[in-house]
Amino acid sequence: MSMIEFKHVEKYYPNKFHALKDINLTIDKGEVVTIIGPSGSGKSTLLRTINGLESISEGQLLVNNMDLADKKTDINRLRKDVGMVFQHFNLYANKSVLDNITLGPRLVLKTSKEDAEAEAHELLKTVGLADKAASFPSMLSGGQKQRIAIARSLAMHPKAILFDEPTSALDPETIGDVLAVMQQIANQGMTMVVVTHEMGFARHVGDRIVFMRTARFWKTVAT
Amino acid sequence: MDTFVKALSWVNLRYLFEGFGITIEVSLWAIVLSFIVGSLLGVARYVNVKYFSAIVGFVIDIIRNLPLILILFFVYFGLPGIGIRVAVVPAAIIALSIFESAMLAEIIRSGINAVPKGQMEAARSNGLTYVQAMTQVIMPQAFRKMIPPIVSQFISLIKDTSLATIILLPEAMYRAEIIYGQNVNYMIPMYVALAVIYFVINYLLSIASRHLAKRLAI
Repeated sequence: MSMIEFKHVEKYYPNKFHALKDINLTIDKGEVVTIIGPSGSGKSTLLRTINGLESISEGQLLVNNMDLADKKTDINRLRKDVGMVFQHFNLYANKSVLDNITLGPRLVLKTSKEDAEAEAHELLKTVGLADKAASFPSMLSGGQKQRIAIARSLAMHPKAILFDEPTSALDPETIGDVLAVMQQIANQGMTMVVVTHEMGFARHVGDRIVFMRTARFWKTVAT
Repeated sequence: MDTFVKALSWVNLRYLFEGFGITIEVSLWAIVLSFIVGSLLGVARYVNVKYFSAIVGFVIDIIRNLPLILILFFVYFGLPGIGIRVAVVPAAIIALSIFESAMLAEIIRSGINAVPKGQMEAARSNGLTYVQAMTQVIMPQAFRKMIPPIVSQFISLIKDTSLATIILLPEAMYRAEIIYGQNVNYMIPMYVALAVIYFVINYLLSIASRHLAKRLAI
């Protein structure tokens, strides 16, 4: 069953830059798709259209059976089901690690404080940072921040998670920890779309690699 | 030295301090009002609502480029011309609030702008609505960045109340003039006394601001 479906999607930026050209892609539930390509080829733009951080100009984009081109689609409803992990982590700088993870569940899913915190502690164990609940983002290393960011998106029980170059801003020695957590999530059957330069991860964990070049798909390879 | 002692007699000092009470009263009202109005204007300009934000921005720019004393004259001497008569204390409060609101609106807008864009993207991707993202993530961070410029704006405001002496607001500056009007030798002692009072209040404020900023640092 398809989770994400691009049909003839075109994207122009306000400055007329043609960022996506005739994109057609279907990603099934539980599939791990990696997107690889040079900078400026539209990888991040493609990823960001999936949760509506970027709008599409033409074509059709269905995510979890919701039509993103339709103005009536409730974007907050969609984002509840699609998590996102950023290159620069974007942890809430004013909140502790625990509050970073529980904010979404409490405000959006209306989970009680106790339940949200209990689950956050479980997730912290999963990502190997059980002792960091009270820390603030500024006290953590890049690799730790990224694992917290992954825990934050898992706390929403999403149907898919988007990763935008999750290891590109990390020191080489911490990349492994983050990739290990991502592999673990992939093994549990999460639908994942990953923009990355990690060829090893793309080959071993990904089900399919999409190569992009100048706003188009250049080649799609099953691994 | 003898003139200092006579000039700073208990009666004169009490008269001066009562004037300073009015300075503080006017300042506090203006601080509260301009903070509320300035926040609304700053956010209105930040959120970029078509036309509305542009108009707000234009009005802010006009006020920021006018001398405060012109606004004071307008409120106190000008408004009665169109049938709105304002007593001197409210007139000073209104004029200062108009001027400071425009100043604070810009501080607040640039404070919000200084929060990295990724914070909003992360909050929205996390499922939060725009308003939730603003109140939970963006504003708390922006506010921390704003404390030093906001407090220094409040310090300017306290000093600027002395301009209202020109519409005969009986604040500290005005009362000092009354005192040395009776004996011209009291002029320098009065200026010294004023300088000390203004310095102490404003310096304490800036120390408090530094402490607050440090305590809330993240």
